[in-house]
Amino acid sequence: MKIFRRTQWWLHLPMIVMALLFLAPLGWMLSTAFKSPDDIIKGLGALRWWPNPVTTENFTGVLSKIEEFPVWQWTGNSVFISLAATALVLTVDSLAAFAYSRLQWRARDRVFSILVATMLVPGQVLLIPSYLLIRNLGLFDTYGALIFPAGAGAFGVFLLRQFFMTIPVELEEAARLDGCGPMGVFRNVILPLSKPALATLGIFTFMGTWNAFEGPLIFTDSLSMRTLPIGITIFQGRYNTEYGPMLAAATLAAIPVVIAFILFQKQIIKGISLTGLAGR
Amino acid sequence: MITFRRVTLAFCIFCLFPLALIGCARRGGNAPGVEKSGQKIVLDFWNGFTGPDGKTMEKIVKRFQKQNPDVAVRMQIIPWGTYYDKLTLSLAYGGAPEVFIMHAARLPEFASFKTLQALDELFASAKPPLRAEKFAPVPWKATFYQSQQLAMPLDVHPIGLYYNAKLFKEAGIVDAKGNAQPPRDLKEFLSSARKLTKDTNRDGRPDQWGFVFTNQRSNWLTITGQFGGGILSPDVKTCVMDSPANRQSLNLMHDFIYKHKIAPRPEGVDSWLAFRQGKVAMVMEGIYMLASLEEQKGLDFAGAPVPQFGPKGAAWGGSHLLCQPARIAPEASQAAWRFMRFLSDNSYEWATGGQVPARLDVQRSAEFAALKVQAQFAKQLPSVQYETLSPRANALFPFVDPAIESVLLDLQTPENALRDSQRRIEQVLKRP
Amino acid sequence: MNTSTVSQAKPKAARWRGDEASGWLFALPHLILFATFVLGPVVYGFYISLHRWHVLSNSHPLVGFSNYSAALSDDIFWIALRNTIYFVLLVVPLGNLVSLSLALGLSSIKRFKTFYTVAFYLPVVISIAVVAVLWRWLYNTEIGLLNMYLSATVNGLRGLGLPLAAYQPIPWLSNPSWVMPSIALMSVWWGAGGNMVLYLAGLNNIPDDYYEAALIDGANPWQRFRNVTWPLLKPTTLFCLVFSVLGAFQIFGQTYVLFAPGSGPARSGLTLALYMYQQGFSQYEIGYGAAIAYLLFAIVLILTVIQFQLLAGSERAARRTAKAKA
Repeated sequence: MKIFRRTQWWLHLPMIVMALLFLAPLGWMLSTAFKSPDDIIKGLGALRWWPNPVTTENFTGVLSKIEEFPVWQWTGNSVFISLAATALVLTVDSLAAFAYSRLQWRARDRVFSILVATMLVPGQVLLIPSYLLIRNLGLFDTYGALIFPAGAGAFGVFLLRQFFMTIPVELEEAARLDGCGPMGVFRNVILPLSKPALATLGIFTFMGTWNAFEGPLIFTDSLSMRTLPIGITIFQGRYNTEYGPMLAAATLAAIPVVIAFILFQKQIIKGISLTGLAGR
Repeated sequence: MITFRRVTLAFCIFCLFPLALIGCARRGGNAPGVEKSGQKIVLDFWNGFTGPDGKTMEKIVKRFQKQNPDVAVRMQIIPWGTYYDKLTLSLAYGGAPEVFIMHAARLPEFASFKTLQALDELFASAKPPLRAEKFAPVPWKATFYQSQQLAMPLDVHPIGLYYNAKLFKEAGIVDAKGNAQPPRDLKEFLSSARKLTKDTNRDGRPDQWGFVFTNQRSNWLTITGQFGGGILSPDVKTCVMDSPANRQSLNLMHDFIYKHKIAPRPEGVDSWLAFRQGKVAMVMEGIYMLASLEEQKGLDFAGAPVPQFGPKGAAWGGSHLLCQPARIAPEASQAAWRFMRFLSDNSYEWATGGQVPARLDVQRSAEFAALKVQAQFAKQLPSVQYETLSPRANALFPFVDPAIESVLLDLQTPENALRDSQRRIEQVLKRP
Repeated sequence: MNTSTVSQAKPKAARWRGDEASGWLFALPHLILFATFVLGPVVYGFYISLHRWHVLSNSHPLVGFSNYSAALSDDIFWIALRNTIYFVLLVVPLGNLVSLSLALGLSSIKRFKTFYTVAFYLPVVISIAVVAVLWRWLYNTEIGLLNMYLSATVNGLRGLGLPLAAYQPIPWLSNPSWVMPSIALMSVWWGAGGNMVLYLAGLNNIPDDYYEAALIDGANPWQRFRNVTWPLLKPTTLFCLVFSVLGAFQIFGQTYVLFAPGSGPARSGLTLALYMYQQGFSQYEIGYGAAIAYLLFAIVLILTVIQFQLLAGSERAARRTAKAKA
């Protein structure tokens, strides 16, 4: 029970309208992925949603030329990098957020201010310094070049710190009376209560890394190191775009993320039903 | 306080560590060497040939590999939008490819920073000989910067007139044999375009247009070139944006839309889709757009040289040049040269994807003459003009494009737009 | 900036003995990464901004703050700033309104929740290059889906006898005054799902007891929203607002992929981050580009400090309200 006492059936009407509006461009993407090149352009002028004829040539085209277009390897790269970055972010950020929210140390607020301030620097300015750094660290054209910078951001620390601060002090004190040290409190009190926050951050990081464009482009060189978003641009010419294969590849690329999202969001909704968390 | 200071100090030192790592970047990166895989010399080859172009290039590269078992070519396609960013970084800080594509209009910039290898000796000692007379003069000239030759021209991609033959026939614009007759000058262009602009559903707005501006920069440079205008003076030292020829050409283009009403307000490159849909009868576009028309089933299109709007012939064009980085090991340079030469010798296949080969012997071959659109567009080669061959060219476009666009959208008069553009470009040229 | 004011809910727990050391220890793994990949580049970027720095050039003469003064006297910088602020003003309220409404809707229904959540979130996972292709199709004046559907609707209504004027196609991307609203609309579609998840988490964090208490008081749904949901959601709302503003100020991808070098008709799509990128990368004047970046940083910093003050203030207020209600 929330704002409304009972389930409100009429709410499905605006919801379905919104859902259709949100899905419409993607529906067009999906239908285009099944269209032949000339039908893509003709269908656009004729507002024709259903492909005529239905063809899977875009998908087979994308998937068959594994040598020039190793789409599975790129998917693998994307999955691996996104998972690794998410794991890294969740680990280091939750530890750090714990330090900034529940531990009392001298330089804490000053360091945290620096952290927050850097979030305001436009990301593009970091590209060239980061490029030099990554070359000199010997990380160029490795997975590390894509994973470590993702774990360095301050957003996750900020997000988790906000959540950690809402956890009642009493729980922490009880744990301490039981003889827990900082690590014990972190593992036994904070982490179990922060599942929703961690899941949220997990999604954000996963998506952010999945969609990252400039970093992977500048920090890697070889065909086998590419990620999907960069792979997809292969179909995009300077003046000319191969719409069919591009949208077919985009559709393929969306599938793993959608699955990941469905899994994670169940986790949030379950985790969030922990009551008492909002006792600010 | 003392503890605090110590902590701060430690923190600062801690932060200096990455700075030191960035700072010690050596210019030019590692010393040039030859990368080998087994017995093979590895050549990295970078280009921006996304789409069908890339597939054609891939085929040619494979043939080269078969004939040259001692060389392994690793081709990397980087979309043009980010291609030069990546190339620049690699030329500045190491990791540059042994062979790469450079547009003619960008060569002076990279040449002025001495990042390209001089090829004079390789050309001089080439066997069989490979001299100026084998190449079309326009792209050949574009490979020189301060009398040093820094590239081998691969192709020319001029603009041309694409027209929808079916719509022409419907409007009765045909020659004696009943074939569609593309316009050759301004008068023919306007009268054809008027006949081709139709409001079939009578809602007061035409739904078939005679013409549309797609790529505004190339369209304007073509028309203004025919009036003798352009961005910079031929010696690339002074800006001539605010010149009578440019005003005349921009006024003419503005008239197409607002006076003669033969073209809709432009929508950028996506107006191209309207031509593919058969809703527009004529467009002026690059030869590289051919591939996208060929996949449009049922579209009865043909190509012709651009009409002559002004007193002289001119057509915008670009060229893909093949370059080597300045810091390249001699052995790699020799192998790279062999590869470049192979691409040039085999540029007929490259032309099929929508290019005019820079090599005259290939242009004159019977097989090239059989490529209908390419052969038509190739007629314009002597009058092809590049955007401008200035080391600042790329810094100028952000001040050229808005001027054209705001005139075509009727936001500014040609006079004001050009004056504004002139002022800004002069500022860029004044920079040290 | 004193961020400890961000939340006054700082636990007043007694300190462990080793807090000083363990604080550093817990923060250390992140700090190492942060100092290396964020702080180092940030400081170095500032260093670059004090130089005349062409990527390909061998010498980088120190020019002090002249890149900054050049930017401030560059009218395109101001055009880009104005466009950026306009975008922020459009997208932040609209985007948050949409995200919050979607989250409220989701939290009030039981069935098909996953379907709706996925539908609203799906655009977030599409890469910007693809988003641009799709939306350029939607936005095309002559052959775009949006105008064709709108025109069909208007014609249909006219057919029913409604006295409507004939539909004039909207020049979504070719009229300077439509450009930013169009980009904002696309951005809302693309990003609403992200904030929606945060709002959803915030809504689920509000314990049922509060609603029950309100129910006993006889509050109707609007009063329950007004008196319970809204005040208790405020921390989430402000968090979302702060980060929307931050993200909106750095808008780059959308205009980068929609428009070419000039950045839209009459430069109406040119934003600061894009201008910076153009100067820094397309023209390789990274010193000047970096100077623009740090000016943008200064603007956002000031705004964020103000926002954090508001955030802290209203969090206190929220707690007071909540306590009063409970």
